[in-house]
Amino acid sequence: MFGNLTNAFERLLSIQDAVESARDANYFGLDTTGFGVTPPIDLFKKDDNLILVSELPGLAKEDLKIEIKDNLFRISGERKLSHDKETSVHRKERKDYNFDRTMKLPFKVDPDKVEAKLEDGVLTVELTRAETDKPRQVFVN
Amino acid sequence: MTAENKEMTVEGKKEIQSKKEQTIPCKVYSPLTDIMETQKELLILMDMPGVNKDQIKVKLEKNILEISGQINTAKYGDYKPIYTEYNLGNYTRSFELSNEIDQSTIEATIEDGVLKLILSKVPEKQPKLIKVG
Repeated sequence: MFGNLTNAFERLLSIQDAVESARDANYFGLDTTGFGVTPPIDLFKKDDNLILVSELPGLAKEDLKIEIKDNLFRISGERKLSHDKETSVHRKERKDYNFDRTMKLPFKVDPDKVEAKLEDGVLTVELTRAETDKPRQVFVN
Repeated sequence: MTAENKEMTVEGKKEIQSKKEQTIPCKVYSPLTDIMETQKELLILMDMPGVNKDQIKVKLEKNILEISGQINTAKYGDYKPIYTEYNLGNYTRSFELSNEIDQSTIEATIEDGVLKLILSKVPEKQPKLIKVG
């Protein structure tokens, strides 16, 4: 009987965890940033374009995924640290990361004109504003 | 069944509070470091994003190993910050090595912003298997 009880709680807890982590990662696009602050992101503006910079040391390109939709920017990835069994660890400050973060940009961007570079552990993404999003001046007759 | 009240902690870089003033106007951070030991060497891994191998300096003097890495701030010159969550800065950290380390054979490589230092132990200090006759 206890076995069954544990299973029921586990299911409920795991559903709750999944919803909470989706909310933390701001998957639903409500805020500029979700509560999870991994990885830390800096947003810059250059002329009329956005430059997004983030620090991801030790992350391989294959483990990084970037998705863009209108004005939402989603970045997810993971880094697992590993060491041999015979190694004894004296100090461990670096962490594994497993993140999934969605960020709301100030304007819509063109997903075909995005350039992303991962160099020396720094991700730099250049985003150009979507043509349809640029304000157009209206002339009054 | 109550949800845990998780306190929101921002994982930030540890800034070094130094009593000495710097000549360059730049923040200095202490890079996150892992120190591991195998039978024949000591392995040090440090997270230093934004630093490539031309900007790393590893200095060994007496028994102090000093590591410092510079980032390139020139590319941020004409960027206007809209929303920032972290600061940029150089990295530095020092360690005191014990006598077990062979100071003449230290290897250092940096890849993807992670510096890896391999410090071999002095041969006499490595564990020896003694055969029973």
